[in-house]
Amino acid sequence: MQMIIQVLADAFSLGGLYALTALGIGLIFSVMRLANFAHAEFVTVGAYVLFALSGEPLVMGVAAAILATMALAVLTERLAFRPLRNADPATMLISSFSVSMFLQRLLVFLVGSRIKTLDPLPMLNNAVTIGGVQVSSLKLVTIIVCAVLLAGLTLFLKKTRFGLQMRAAAENFTMSRLVGVRANTVIAAAFALSGALAAVVALLFAAQTGFVQPRFGVQLVIIAFVATVIGGLGNLFGAAVGGFLVGIVSILLQAFLPPELRPFREAGLFLVVILVLLVRPQGLFPARGLKERV
Amino acid sequence: MTATANSSSPLLSIDGLVVRYGQITALSEVSLHVDEGEVVSIVGPNGAGKSSLLGAIAGLVQPAGGRIAFAGEPVAPRALERTVRRGIALVPEGRHVFGGLTVHENLMLGATVRNDRRVVDDEIARFFDIFPILGERRNEAAGRLSGGEQQMLVIARALLSKPRLLMLDEPSLGLAPKVTDRVYELLAEIRAQGLTILVVEQNAPRALKAANRTYVLNGGRVRLAGPSATLAADPDFEAAYFGLRTEAAS
Repeated sequence: MQMIIQVLADAFSLGGLYALTALGIGLIFSVMRLANFAHAEFVTVGAYVLFALSGEPLVMGVAAAILATMALAVLTERLAFRPLRNADPATMLISSFSVSMFLQRLLVFLVGSRIKTLDPLPMLNNAVTIGGVQVSSLKLVTIIVCAVLLAGLTLFLKKTRFGLQMRAAAENFTMSRLVGVRANTVIAAAFALSGALAAVVALLFAAQTGFVQPRFGVQLVIIAFVATVIGGLGNLFGAAVGGFLVGIVSILLQAFLPPELRPFREAGLFLVVILVLLVRPQGLFPARGLKERV
Repeated sequence: MTATANSSSPLLSIDGLVVRYGQITALSEVSLHVDEGEVVSIVGPNGAGKSSLLGAIAGLVQPAGGRIAFAGEPVAPRALERTVRRGIALVPEGRHVFGGLTVHENLMLGATVRNDRRVVDDEIARFFDIFPILGERRNEAAGRLSGGEQQMLVIARALLSKPRLLMLDEPSLGLAPKVTDRVYELLAEIRAQGLTILVVEQNAPRALKAANRTYVLNGGRVRLAGPSATLAADPDFEAAYFGLRTEAAS
């Protein structure tokens, strides 16, 4: 029982982080068909801002991290991606790689490649006891924050006028503009939201790992990409589910593989990914209208 | 009804329009006009350039030459979201409902450019009264509607922007004759309210019946033009439609 609850907490907290990252990527992919690898650097920059403001009150650090990643996201859109909006998907992919690499090297230049330690959420380093079982507070809070953000994002997309416009743009960009949806506004807003999500991921992930370095966000974002592909590229619900699935599968592999095989758990994870894609090449929840983009 | 050309300039005027896709010329020197309150149809076979024409008016296609003016002002290409704000609503070929969004959400999107939310809600309610099938399925994904229902939905969606000019690209394409009848009944009702309509059709008899005036387009040129009733009786009509006559109509 003890073990099951702990494994579940691990699985859902990791899955939640992947889901939030996958959503940040999925938002941008769905409105402009861009696979934004620079999302990794949004997360990394968020973590560095938290590190820089380590001594300040938490609220200030978090607010600054969110503002910084939102600004960075909107800026990359404006400078690097907007001019390419009608370009080939391959061109946009290379561009997003380039932006990612550029920001990574810029960070090495600015702050050095050495690891910096930080502990942004020291108040969560204890464990709480639920029904006689000890669970890390950080993991519980991670699960709660992820759930609240997922619910909030869903409400925003489903219940607000702007969310509706965003979903319309995601489904059929040209038609949405023809009914009057302002393309630039919607895309900039998607980037801003994506940046804000990256900052939250940075906070929770840095609290778990305890350090930051210039490649901090890379591994997370690669796995989140896998999650969005499994969930169905362009489908936000699918991205969230894919994130949770990937998190849960990797924790289960970690927990139940024989000890001598554990170092290879990622091989196992990617094997599962390949199998899922062989059976469902469009992902578990294929997006509509992927081919309609003009 | 203000079907008469009382003002000096027409609502939509196109002069010497040229559209090219690489080496291929889709439209060459096309000139036409639509007056306020008129229903004008453009007929012609597949590949005649009909959709390019509507695309150029809506800003979807960049013209290589010529002039398009709406309400006296030039139309700028590549400013798609301005098209509807200027009063031009396009119902594109193939309907393009937002298939993953609900019927109601599709209609709400039609009113994106408006701020009178309460009036919009009333108009949507009225639409559901006229088409109870769609009212019953208001919370279902629009992609699951039949072709005819989707066509009604996109026309209603276009009307919710309160356009001055409604453009329809092949509204009868892929629909059963009975459903096409229903679509054209709806257009007749819209016309009776005084809205200006520009409709593109392969189905010439339908278009001639519905429109005040008709242009026959073939090979990217206007081959014949005139009041629909006159064209319907014109022995040259079929020849022009099928591109058998080469000189442009005077």
